[in-house]
Amino acid sequence: MSRIAEQESGQAARRDRLEADYAAREARALAMGGPERLARRKAAGVLNARERIARLFDEGSFIESGLFSTSLAPEDRDRSPSDGKITGFGRIDGRDAAMVANDFTVMGASSGGTNGRKIAHTKRVATQRGMPLVFLGESSGARMPDHMGSRGMGLLLGNDGAQYQRMREIPWVSATLGLSYGSSSWYAVMSDFNVMRKGAVLAVSSSLLASLAVKEEVDPEALGGWRLHAEVTGFADLVVDSDEEAIDAIKRFLDYLPGHHNEAPPVRPVPAGSGEGMRDILDLLPASRTQVYDVRKIVRTLVDTDSFFELKARFGKVGVTGLARLAGRTVGIVANNPLVKGGALDVEACEKITSFIVLCDSFNIPIVMLVDTPGFVIGTEAERKRAPGKIMNFMNALALTTVPKLSVVLRKSYGQAYLNMGGGRNSDEVAAWPTAEISFMDPGFAVKVVHGLDPGTDGFDERLAAMDKASSVWDIASVYAVQSVIRPQDTRDYLVRMLDVHQLRPTRGVGQHLMRAWPTSY
Amino acid sequence: MALLELKSEVTGSVWKIVTAAGQKLEPGETVMILESMKMEIPVIAEDGGKLVEIRVTEGTSVAEGQVLAVVQE
Repeated sequence: MSRIAEQESGQAARRDRLEADYAAREARALAMGGPERLARRKAAGVLNARERIARLFDEGSFIESGLFSTSLAPEDRDRSPSDGKITGFGRIDGRDAAMVANDFTVMGASSGGTNGRKIAHTKRVATQRGMPLVFLGESSGARMPDHMGSRGMGLLLGNDGAQYQRMREIPWVSATLGLSYGSSSWYAVMSDFNVMRKGAVLAVSSSLLASLAVKEEVDPEALGGWRLHAEVTGFADLVVDSDEEAIDAIKRFLDYLPGHHNEAPPVRPVPAGSGEGMRDILDLLPASRTQVYDVRKIVRTLVDTDSFFELKARFGKVGVTGLARLAGRTVGIVANNPLVKGGALDVEACEKITSFIVLCDSFNIPIVMLVDTPGFVIGTEAERKRAPGKIMNFMNALALTTVPKLSVVLRKSYGQAYLNMGGGRNSDEVAAWPTAEISFMDPGFAVKVVHGLDPGTDGFDERLAAMDKASSVWDIASVYAVQSVIRPQDTRDYLVRMLDVHQLRPTRGVGQHLMRAWPTSY
Repeated sequence: MALLELKSEVTGSVWKIVTAAGQKLEPGETVMILESMKMEIPVIAEDGGKLVEIRVTEGTSVAEGQVLAVVQE
């Protein structure tokens, strides 16, 4: 054999050796927690971490960071592919996003030294380069025994002072897809959107640990199941039946948002049929003021066809919040729903609306408010739940909002709730339907408060007449505190035009983000 | 199957009961209508199911949080 041929043969053998070694290592990493664990998940109808990633990102767009990472502990190196948390970047409908996917088949996706560095890197890149960050959550919490003892604590915890800092430079979105304790729970509640799959559990720690602590059996569903978080805590923005639906919901949510806080949300084509129901929109509002209705029907009629994406539908139901599009542009909808409590705002609705306003303002999404509320729920229970603080958080959020905010009064607008729902200078424009009635409180209640008289008693009717000053929209329009009285059927056109008028031209649609550091729950 | 309690979200009175125990409920169906704050407020079975029991009668005063009916999911 010639010298050249010998050299070429040696190089080919070297390439083959490298390739074989690489392929073997790659296969071990991609095998995750092994065929048995993966088979059990498949039988349960649950996607594994890599199947979730494939569903999330556009085909072929995922580039992994840390494929060959493993646990810091030498004895765990061979059984900890990707150290249980897969990280990297990909494209969602053509736009870049960063991602952390917990692989529960590897040591329960517990938090360890290596995967902590992976999360920190992913967050840093997403924040500095301006792209959303997706958490696919399912983790068992801190890894044992690594975290045990003071040395374990010192080495593994608290070394990143920004680990749980939220400044809303980029959207954070989360899916709670299984047992979720520790970091998966923390990132879920710190996110702008958290979708929960039925059967998943979101809690501080496991039901086993909780049972040990309180010395009684704790049911995981009661501890952190979907119903608790959809209806009581509000930590689930949406509940779905499958992993696939959860990941699709993440993609849908992100489609309304900009990639980062210094750009305007994307504009989409206007679907066919948008606005077709406007002619009959008044029919959705009952003629009698004692009858209630579902304001979501009015919302769906107003916005682009099928564009209303409701958030926290089962929590604080008096307040409806959701993303939608008007003529292709993203808007945040805040509406009172008389179907629940007659539209009287309770503390849960205040919390929900406050966090939604913060979301919209932080990501340059104009806000449209639809008003029909007799006021705030009052009484001892409301006071015990700290109603004044919640009402003022809501009010302060509205006052600090720098994106355009438009308010439309459909029917009732009373008292402090008039201000919270954008009355006066608390909106950029206030419009009202001719059906609107605006006053400080129900005149019958006012007679009781001022004169101590009940209906039927002497002098009640005269004083009621004095108190029942015209609450029609024409009087408030005459003093220009309502800028426009609009025909109901013109509401969509009015909003589209006014959003156009109020565009943030000097900053290309970017607001000031004065609430960027506000809490993510209250 | 889990039993779910339908609770009153308001203080008021039962104006009209529009269903009967044993009946199948569609998701979002109105079980009864309360009167509160001078308004007619429906009590809705959000997920549907089977109406196992109604615990109030028309005209009853109800407090916020009071169980009005029980539904089997």
